[in-house]
Amino acid sequence: MNFMDRFKISLLPFSALVFGIFALMLLVYFTNSAEIFSREGIKIYTTNIWLASEEPEKEFYGVLAAIYGSVFTSVIAILIALPISIAYSIFVVDFAPKKIKEWLTIATDIMAGLPTIIYGIWGVFVLVPFLKTYVMEPLYNNLSFIPLFSYPPVSGYSYLSAGVLLGIMVTPFATAVIREAYKMVPFTYREAIFALGATKYEATKVIIGYIKPAIIAGMILAFGRAIGETVAVSLVIGNTFNISPSLFAPGYTISSLIANQFGNAFIYEYMVSALFAAGLSLFFIGLAINLLAFYFLRRWEESGSRL
Amino acid sequence: MNAIETINLNVYYGEKHVIKNITMNIPKNVVFTIMGPSGCGKSTLLRSFNRLLELNETARITGDIKLFGESIFDMDPRELRKRVGMVFQQPNPFPHLSIYDNVAIGPKLNRLVESKEELDKLVEWALKKAALWDEVKDRLNDPATKLSGGQQQRLCIARALAIKPEVLLLDEPTSALDPVSTAKIESLLIELKKSYTIVLVTHNMQQAARVGDYTAFILDGELIEVGETSQIFENPRDRRTEEYITGRFG
Repeated sequence: MNFMDRFKISLLPFSALVFGIFALMLLVYFTNSAEIFSREGIKIYTTNIWLASEEPEKEFYGVLAAIYGSVFTSVIAILIALPISIAYSIFVVDFAPKKIKEWLTIATDIMAGLPTIIYGIWGVFVLVPFLKTYVMEPLYNNLSFIPLFSYPPVSGYSYLSAGVLLGIMVTPFATAVIREAYKMVPFTYREAIFALGATKYEATKVIIGYIKPAIIAGMILAFGRAIGETVAVSLVIGNTFNISPSLFAPGYTISSLIANQFGNAFIYEYMVSALFAAGLSLFFIGLAINLLAFYFLRRWEESGSRL
Repeated sequence: MNAIETINLNVYYGEKHVIKNITMNIPKNVVFTIMGPSGCGKSTLLRSFNRLLELNETARITGDIKLFGESIFDMDPRELRKRVGMVFQQPNPFPHLSIYDNVAIGPKLNRLVESKEELDKLVEWALKKAALWDEVKDRLNDPATKLSGGQQQRLCIARALAIKPEVLLLDEPTSALDPVSTAKIESLLIELKKSYTIVLVTHNMQQAARVGDYTAFILDGELIEVGETSQIFENPRDRRTEEYITGRFG
């Protein structure tokens, strides 16, 4: 046996460990949620009911509102993070003076590493009142006939607040991926596009097209962070079983639901199992997002995108 | 009138003096080769002709360059680059764009066409000029990366031609290619000089001898000798030129 073989084999346990932990975790979620699935079937995911009762036969749980809230707030977060992180990356790489460049990079890295409770507290005391007064109320007062703006912003705790807060929180992650990809674009492509008489803006547009896979990867990472975020979201979303198209309505997310309900879940017969099933849905959503991204990247690689 | 004239041209990267007081004329409708060993400044010289050097923040130019009698420093760099196309050492078609879009991008950026039909025609014309049309006409929507290295380089020539330049700059366009692809591109250049002025940078003196009407020999940023290619190769006036072409260095 030569060295390379031994080296290869010595690496194996580590990858097996990572995969094993993942598989076992999934198994725990499947076995613990089996009870609720056999009792309710798919209804755990397709109904919006939360009946916790001392009498087990009256218990019924449907987490649709939380799934809806998770996806809704994460989509808002992505819509905010995408333009900001692209613009930020372009500025840092192409325009910022060297010194400022370093500081800007450090700033986003620190932002990425901050404990999320910090964002949560800031969200409660600053972001939510700000959004309520300067965004929600004017929009509601003038445009409430549009379903997105149709809910009266009484408390300010809402999908919008959670989505904006998540957008701010995940921007550093998306930025890190996009910025590095943008920086790594071979100089020869920059030369080529400028040699064709492009303006700085036109050249940037073409180069952004070139790093589209990295942008998609950054978005997936950001989406994953957003949908999994718990503490900060539970402080600003309102924690209400609610399914509303309005940005200003309070709601729930899966992570905030689990965090809020887990403490007293053991009192009830089926609630723990229901919460495991809710957690499992995050696995499914994550899987779906990754498959979707994989599909897009494949199609993109095969066809060569249009201008 | 000459296509390009340089007058006391100096280029510095920071403190480093890379092009030293070069004055020379490039006549039109010829293949003009700039020959010299690696690192002599020939790529830098070429990039000063379309002001692409300005992408490098440390680059500084003194002296003047004239394109058909007009100083390029009085022109909008975009306008200049429309008139002076460029092909690079490594084939660099945009990998995320199709074959068609790689050619169409220049005309689109410069608003040269008004309709899809016009653009189709222009793309076909450029690909034919670059002797690539027959090989790609059935797969214009394939990504450019599916082409071979030689085809990619001809695609880059088509991309440069599609903006209808007057001068075509080529920076060692065949150094990454096999001999067959090289021969194709060389015969293409001889064909293209009927309509364009070709400035070809090469460290390969056989190539200079094969395709060049005029040759300039550059060494350490200095213009050692310039003249008709036959004179440079058969009867060099400078000892260093003779040493280079007889293979004593470089």
